[in-house]
This record gives sequence, C-alpha cells and structure tokens, in this order.
Amino acid sequence: MPNTISAGDTAWLLASAALVMLMTPALGFFYGGLVRRKNVLATIMHSFFILCLISVQWVLWGYTLAFGPDHGGIIGGLDWLALKGVGQDPGPYAPTVPHEAYMVFQMMFAVITPALITGAFAERKRFKAFVVFTLLWATFVYDPVAHWVWGGGWLGQLGALDFAGGTVVHITSGVSALVAALVLGRRVGFGREAMDPHDATMTVLGASLLWFGWFGFNAGSAITAGGLAANAFVVTNTAAAMAALTWMTVSWLHKGAPSVLGAAAGAVAGLVAITPASGYVDVSASILIGLGAGVFCYTAIQLTKRLKVDDALDVFGVHGVGGAWGAIATGIFATVAINSAAKDGLVYGNPGQLGIQAIAVGASIVYSAVMTFVILKLIDVFVGLRVPESEEVLGLDATQHREAAYQI
Amino acid sequence: MEVLAFAAFAILVVSWLIAPSRPPITTVETEERAAA
Repeated sequence: MPNTISAGDTAWLLASAALVMLMTPALGFFYGGLVRRKNVLATIMHSFFILCLISVQWVLWGYTLAFGPDHGGIIGGLDWLALKGVGQDPGPYAPTVPHEAYMVFQMMFAVITPALITGAFAERKRFKAFVVFTLLWATFVYDPVAHWVWGGGWLGQLGALDFAGGTVVHITSGVSALVAALVLGRRVGFGREAMDPHDATMTVLGASLLWFGWFGFNAGSAITAGGLAANAFVVTNTAAAMAALTWMTVSWLHKGAPSVLGAAAGAVAGLVAITPASGYVDVSASILIGLGAGVFCYTAIQLTKRLKVDDALDVFGVHGVGGAWGAIATGIFATVAINSAAKDGLVYGNPGQLGIQAIAVGASIVYSAVMTFVILKLIDVFVGLRVPESEEVLGLDATQHREAAYQI
Repeated sequence: MEVLAFAAFAILVVSWLIAPSRPPITTVETEERAAA
C-alpha cells in the first residue's frame, strides 16, 4: 500500500486525542465541585480511574469489538485483539493517518463515555461495584453501539448521521445514568437536607476545560485538518455559547437570578447537542441547536427533580436529552453544503433523514437502558451496588478511599 | 435559517432586559446555608 499519510491530518488527530483526553479529568472537576465536600475525591476518582481502566480495556479488546471487521452489522470481530495489525500504516477508517492514531483518538471517546454516567450515582456507589460496572458497560454497551454507528454496523449502513457521538456517547451515557439513578435509589437525606455544590468555582473550571477539550472531540472527528474541521470548531463554540446564554436566561426568568452554575451546565448541554451535528450543519443551525439545548435540558432537569429521581448531577437531563435533541436536530438541519459525504435534513427537503435519526435515537435508548439495567442487577447480586448507610453519611472519601480532599 | 438565528438571539437580549432582580441573599440566609 502506498504511503498516503498526511502530516497535517496526523498532527491534528493526535492533538485532538490529547484534547479529548483532558475532558475526562475536566469532567471529574465539573462533577467534583457539584458534590458535597465529603465526596469530592471519590467523585474525581471515578473519572481518573476510568481514564486508566478503559485505556487498557480499549487496546486489549474494546477497539476490535467497536471497529474490527463487521459481523452482521452488530459487532466487530476479534481480528485486532490487543491491537494486532493496528500499526503505523493507515487503517480502513482514515486513509491519511496511522491506524494507531485513529485508534487512540477513538479511545478517548470510549474513556469519557462511562465517566459521564458516574454523575448519576455519585455520593452512594461502592467503588468495587463502580469498577465492575464500568468494565461491563464499556464492553457490552459502548463497544457494540460504537460499532453500530461508526464501525460499519447497522445504524451506519442505515444512513444515521452522528458526527462525534450524540447517540454513541451522550444518549447511551445519559439514558444509562437515568437507569442507574433509579436502580440505586436516592441518596440518604435526598429531598430533606441541602445537598448544595461544595465548590462552584471547581465546577466552572471543569466546564471551561470540557469546552476546550470539546474542540478536539468535534473538530477532531473530521479526521482531516481542513475545512470540515474548521466548520465543526465554529459551530461547536457557537452552540455552547448559545446554550449557556439560554440556560442562564431561562433559569433567571424561572428563579430570579442569572445562575453561574446554570451557565456552566448550559454550555455543556450545548456542547452535547452540537456533537452529532457538528460535521453537518452551518452556524445558523448551531444557534438554534444551542437554543434548543438550553431550553430542553433545563426543562428536563426540572422534571426529573419534580419526579424526585436522584440523578445526582443531572446526567440524564444534560446528556440524554441533549444528545437526543442533537441527533434529531441533525436530521432537521444537516446539509450537503457543509459535508458532501452526508445527506440533507428536513429543512433541505429530505424528511427521511429525520426518520433515520429517530430510529438511531430509539435504538440507542432501548439497548443502553436494558443492558444497563441487567448489568446493575447482576452487580447488585454478586457485589452490592451501594455503600452502607453509615458509610454514605460519613462520605465516600473517608470510607472508600481513606483520604480527605481538604486539610483546612 | 439566518432570520431564526437572529430572532433567537434577540429573544435572549430582550429577556435580560425584563428579567426580575431578586434581592441579595441576607446574612441570615447565608448562615443558614452554611449550617445546613
């Protein structure tokens, strides 16, 4: 095979992989600021531990399950177990970069996705249960769905558009978070005592770093260092800003003050929503997607709170609803004027794309919900999901890790 | 599309002008929060 590797594409993809890597510890800080001080280390540890765990799982069997040669549109084969055959020459997915560069870029997506779920079971899950859950969930939920959409599987064959992970990353994690919150049950004292964020500054810093890393997430998904990456970068920034402004405005009108944490959460919601669309829509569409993200995600969170579901850090509202909105919005606003390899959406005369997007959303929701429920129930039987009530009251930092975050 | 984008942003700007201004949190409320 002639060497077709592009230095520019390779440099951009490796830099993007590093940007996406930063998102997982950034998520740890985003979530860490939102919990009570007795649980901050345990919460940050969720993200940091997943970075380590899935980095190894991905090279051993995750990548080949997700991107290995297709088996019936359902799962990848074991041909690339332990990265056998994945080397410095280009692979089948990206003709201008080393296969290893593509693999490590995808690894960072596999890392952050289960980390997103941890916000739902924060402050009450046993560390051992969390470890087993993450390994099983990555293998039986993330890897197959990534194959369906990006690895030559049935959703990709159907024509579903998901540029950077609206279905693969955000719907799967958001829906699984809701299932986890329901299966684990509410935290001790939920609804009776204040559970205010212990450090809002940490959360805003985490959101800012997530925003920074998201440029690699979306613009890196172009896989080339060209115009498509530039468009993805611009619409990503615009949607994040618009969603932050919208969330802040809605919460201001609703609760009487422009919330700082609301602006941070809104930015993340906008980033989530633009993720599947970022390679297919123009900047005007990104403003409307950001507006929708701010309104829909804020409303969803108010609804889950009213229903007394203890999704501790609002993962379903931001990632499940934001991801679903982004996937549907892709079917509305996609245009071949931005990406000639894609298809037009509803507003450009192709309503069928909206139907395909709806199928992708529905399939992701049903599969991740059922699998997550089964995995959690199995873990509950063999390991136990929650810490005892006495340990929950003391806090997970002391009881799970025998450490304290602050000495002051 | 462009018209909708401008309209969306205009709605936000108008909302900021009419949004309510809640009184600042009092010292008592701050202490209650800390105690909780």
